[in-house]
Amino acid sequence: MKVLIVDDEKPARERLRHLIEDLNLGEVVGEASNGREALAETDRAHPDILLLDIRMPEMDGLEAAAHVSKLENPPAVIFTTAYNDYALQAFEQQAVDYLLKPVRRERLERALTAAKRLTRVQLSALRDNEQGGRTHLSARIHGSVRLVPIEEVRFLQAAHKYVTVNFADGEVLVEDSLKALEEEFGDRFVRIHRNALAAKIWLESLERTGMGGYCVRLRGCESCLEVSRRHLAGVRRLMRR
Amino acid sequence: MAHKRQSLSGESFLPNFCAIRMVFAVVIVAQLLSFLFALVPLRPGSDEQWSNLGLISLFVQWIALTSAALLCSLRRWLARLSQIQAGLLSYAILLGVIGAISEATFWVWQLSGAALDSSWHLHFLLRNLVAGAIISGLVLRYFYVQYQWKRNVQAESEARLQALQARIRPHFLFNSMNTIASLTRSQPDQAEGAVEDLADLFRMSLSDARKLITLEEELALCQRYLHIEGLRLGERLAISCETEALPGDALVPPLILQPLVENAVYHGIEPRAQGGRVEISGARKGSQLTITIRNPLPPSSEGGRARNGNRIAQDNVRERLAAHYGPDGRLELSMENDHYDVTMTLPYRTQQDEGSNR
Repeated sequence: MKVLIVDDEKPARERLRHLIEDLNLGEVVGEASNGREALAETDRAHPDILLLDIRMPEMDGLEAAAHVSKLENPPAVIFTTAYNDYALQAFEQQAVDYLLKPVRRERLERALTAAKRLTRVQLSALRDNEQGGRTHLSARIHGSVRLVPIEEVRFLQAAHKYVTVNFADGEVLVEDSLKALEEEFGDRFVRIHRNALAAKIWLESLERTGMGGYCVRLRGCESCLEVSRRHLAGVRRLMRR
Repeated sequence: MAHKRQSLSGESFLPNFCAIRMVFAVVIVAQLLSFLFALVPLRPGSDEQWSNLGLISLFVQWIALTSAALLCSLRRWLARLSQIQAGLLSYAILLGVIGAISEATFWVWQLSGAALDSSWHLHFLLRNLVAGAIISGLVLRYFYVQYQWKRNVQAESEARLQALQARIRPHFLFNSMNTIASLTRSQPDQAEGAVEDLADLFRMSLSDARKLITLEEELALCQRYLHIEGLRLGERLAISCETEALPGDALVPPLILQPLVENAVYHGIEPRAQGGRVEISGARKGSQLTITIRNPLPPSSEGGRARNGNRIAQDNVRERLAAHYGPDGRLELSMENDHYDVTMTLPYRTQQDEGSNR
């Protein structure tokens, strides 16, 4: 059994490593100190189990788990947490395994032998308990997960089943619905059309199109995005600020 | 402050009549009473009493000061009795003094040749005793109500202080325990040190919130706290401490700085993968001390959470500053491009100042 240990604190990682070695239950294939590193390490070492700390810089454990779950063959996840980082009740309700730090040897043994994959329902229920949205959007590309930092996203456009994420380095498709994205990142984006959200920080100018309509230009984007009549007032208000 | 409380609870409700201020108050009140007696003549239309103001004053002052002197000398003894016993006894003392002095006055008059019959004698004695009984009763009742009120106010402010007692975050406790569990195996010496530091911090957080400690001790506690966090966060936590300008003997409420340092680590260092520096600096301007704790700003996504948690600890510190120093204790926050500053201002008070305030 291959285990990846993710925790931003070195002593915490060391302790888990020692315990796993003592238990002789698995092999530690890597360590990561935040969610982003965890995804990279998962890509590299293909662990069976992630021991995932929740409160970490850059990307927290809950978000990392959500991205990981998009893999074709996602590892099982066991969260580790100190006191009241997150509502422990939520973990119990969702039957998600978690370990309280300092982790007990017997408890770790039980968790490792019973480790199971998380479902998306469990994850989204957990994430509802957390304040603030994700820091990254993720898309599955060739069996690995591609992360897009949310602040680099220029606009989100719905098309068929997917939403196109336009960002500094190009475009990816994500499976989240536009409505869910609007709810999660409502303060970052403004609705400009029934099928599009534009990032407020990248807004540049509002222009008139030939046919009497309007479109917005975003910094770093060549095309001018159509603004529907219904959302014009909202966009105007933003531009004035 | 603990000392004050003790003396209050062990004290009877009677004020200290040995104090100069109290004697002065007794003289003033007695004089006002004399005016009152002179203003209310027994027979309407006669202004006989006004001309007797001097005599009335002499009589009332004599009673008041004798009573005060007696209550002063019996003070220790009265304090040992229950409130009811002490109240009844002092009432009896007051009536006794009134009776005795009335009697003495009568004899002085009679010896000075005034023709006074025995019915006048009885009338004089009874009248003085009844008036004295009413006034003494009112005065004692006033002292008792005032004492109760004072006790309530004190109990309330103490309860408030205790409720405000600084509490170390459970988050910190469990993370430290985890660090210690790890170090016990790899670096037992460091684990030992961490246990000692942790014990000091929790001892202080469980101690009496009303007892002040020196600024030197408080800064040492901050150092212990940072030492533990340093073990946990490793190179991510850098510390600089420029507090030489601060007088070590200044008295501060325990754990008044530590929660702010903890905030700086929790919100400024932990959310940053690359870590950062917590800077503690202090300055003294005359009798005013300022201490600034600076930390780098967390990444923007942490903002919402950070501000929320910050406020709880800051409000607690602010309220404790207000409870201890009134308007002289302040907490100011400022945010600049890349760092967050919390500046505490407090008066420089030492053990001696506290002693002379009592």
